[in-house]
Amino acid sequence: MRSHITLSPKQLGLAMLFVALGGAVGTFIRDVLLKINLYGIPRGSAVYTTPDWTHQIPWVLLAINTIGVFVATDLLRHRLKHHDPNAPMRLLLVTGFLGGLTSYSGLFVNLAAIWHLTIGGCLLVTAGAILSGLFAGMLGLGRHRRRT
Amino acid sequence: MTLLLVSIAGAAGCVVRYVFEYLVRRNHPTSRPWATVFANALGTGIAGFAAYRLIALSDGQVRTIVLTGFCGGLTTFSSALAVPVILQREHHWGYAAALITTTPLLCSGMFVLGMSLAH
Repeated sequence: MRSHITLSPKQLGLAMLFVALGGAVGTFIRDVLLKINLYGIPRGSAVYTTPDWTHQIPWVLLAINTIGVFVATDLLRHRLKHHDPNAPMRLLLVTGFLGGLTSYSGLFVNLAAIWHLTIGGCLLVTAGAILSGLFAGMLGLGRHRRRT
Repeated sequence: MTLLLVSIAGAAGCVVRYVFEYLVRRNHPTSRPWATVFANALGTGIAGFAAYRLIALSDGQVRTIVLTGFCGGLTTFSSALAVPVILQREHHWGYAAALITTTPLLCSGMFVLGMSLAH
């Protein structure tokens, strides 16, 4: 697919196919990994009844998101640096796979569950999620710098 | 079967996000990162609504398909932080800081809005 800001209907359809393929695989892997239930708490709801807020910390999702930021930064700054945003590999890996693998909404569902138990804990986990993501992004940049 | 449906829903969410980003980039090439911010806000708002509206359902499958699948695909954590990190490296400090802070604030607001609409 050629690099254009405006795509023809056929190119747009192809682009959507690449995104869908990557997104399906990324979502599949996230769902499988999220089945690792550290504390036996049911998933898919923001209202839980466990009294210990630390059991609500979504460690698996935090790890997935952090790794996702690292890989995305590395790809966008190194391997896919000169690729157009509509380039197939970028659509497949960054927009699709990593976009499907990581989740902002899932994080907020877990944060809401923590909020019901402790506001301080919720703010702490939010800050931790963002700071760990930024740190992972910086590591992705650093990896790029060492290579060049 | 649920896993397959979650994957399809995730693919649909990713495609919606991409089309949104594509339309913004086509009309305002420099504003594309904001499309990701708004996709995250929209997805989090839907998740807030779905998490509370669907809790009454005894079948957790629908919740998983909507929350883990569609909302998870519509939102992205990787691009939400990777793009600002790259922007700060290119000395766009203000832009990067605005993206980093706006996303969680907007998502919080949208989650509460979705939750309120569900009640």
